[in-house]
Amino acid sequence: MTTLERLQQMLTRDFELQPGALVPGATLESLDIDSLRMIEILFSVEEAFGISVPAEPAELRARVHTLGDLAGYIDELVNAKAAQAPA
Amino acid sequence: LKPVAVTGVGVVSPLGNDAASLFAALCAGRSGVRRLAGRSFERLQVGIGAPVDFDAAAHFPAARVRMLDRVSQFALCAASQAIAASAGALEAVDPRRAGVFIGTGMGGSETADDGYHTLYAEHSDRVKPYSVLMAMNNAPAAWIALDHRLEGPNLTYSTACSSSTVAIGEAARRIASGEVDVMVAGGAEAPLTFGTLMAWEALRTLASADANDPSASCRPFSRDRNGLVLGEGAAIVVLEDGARARARGAPIMAEITGYGLFTDASHITRPSIAGQAEAMRRALADAADDAAAIGYINAHGTGTAANDGVETAAIKEVFGARSRALAVSSTKSMHGHLLGAAGALELVASVLALAHGRIPPTINLRVPDPECDLDYVADGAREAAGLRAAMTNSFAFGGTNAVLVARAA
Repeated sequence: MTTLERLQQMLTRDFELQPGALVPGATLESLDIDSLRMIEILFSVEEAFGISVPAEPAELRARVHTLGDLAGYIDELVNAKAAQAPA
Repeated sequence: LKPVAVTGVGVVSPLGNDAASLFAALCAGRSGVRRLAGRSFERLQVGIGAPVDFDAAAHFPAARVRMLDRVSQFALCAASQAIAASAGALEAVDPRRAGVFIGTGMGGSETADDGYHTLYAEHSDRVKPYSVLMAMNNAPAAWIALDHRLEGPNLTYSTACSSSTVAIGEAARRIASGEVDVMVAGGAEAPLTFGTLMAWEALRTLASADANDPSASCRPFSRDRNGLVLGEGAAIVVLEDGARARARGAPIMAEITGYGLFTDASHITRPSIAGQAEAMRRALADAADDAAAIGYINAHGTGTAANDGVETAAIKEVFGARSRALAVSSTKSMHGHLLGAAGALELVASVLALAHGRIPPTINLRVPDPECDLDYVADGAREAAGLRAAMTNSFAFGGTNAVLVARAA
């Protein structure tokens, strides 16, 4: 399953979002994900992907506008963690 | 001053999750006290309480439940009931002239307990993202205002065991002064978590479990009483400008006519006859003509050695010879001590007693105590068709003594 698919599954199951709306280009605004809801989503993302999202709200706001952005950001963090792991 | 009508009540309690169930259980002398089950509860010495049977999923969508501590869940349910029962108190009201006053002693104690468990027991370095919003003491009042768009004053009172008596009294004053038209007021408490129960055990003020029947562990005014039993829940009333309530044909259940406050300022826990008596006197003075009509007192009646004798003496000091003619009951014998929600639940019990002409009993009073020699309605609920006014007492750790008087509609 791709990161986007896992994200879609999580948002449908735990956040009661409509699956049809969860396209990569969907903006967080259009999905009614405000800053408060985003905090909760990141909490779930950290657990599901075994990563730690840096606590920098400004950076997140600058980088993540759409669902696709979020999936890309997660991939980046997952890869960065894998690169750091001892061989 | 404007008259203040009670036009709706709502209840989430150890004796049922609506006013009718509560009052039926009270009059049947049914106890909500039982052995508790929960995380780490096997480590408790006492391990009894009066829990609420409550399924959050039946009331809120999953995403909402994750934002609401149990205490807010209780408060929101009780508030919705009270608003529905008022048959339109919030319709056509100016939202800027409608507010929410809630009393709570401990706020979101389950969230705090869960958070510390995660950090200290599970050694996680992450706590739930909404922990602050769930645990903050004003969350119940804030959510009620958000859900019902009430833009008037929104305050949370925390005076331990008198919190919600204060919240209702202060709300009544805002209406009486003409500042607001409608107030949603009451209390909520959800203290049945391991950490909170351990803290109460440490204070050595909880009743030990009755060996034969745990449900009979809380015994107010009985010589063999040995402490209070913690309970949980919420009780909320809709208070409304009496003239407005009449004009719209509202179902007026009672009127709040007296509120008295007096602070001991002498000891952090020890109750005082003088302090309790003065709070009662002030409520009676506020109630004016209704003072002589009081036929029922819903006592603070915690079941501790200290309170019940002092409260009895204070009632005798205030009412003199007439104290023998009063019916005095402690419904805590059945629903336990709801701390910050206790006063509101007991006001609701008093309002229902006035509305139904029926006085709920004190249960488990089996051994007379010479220090406690009033009529505690120990032989079961009593018909009181002519009951015109009732008083309810709340005396708190910290010394804030609060008393309300209600008159039959």
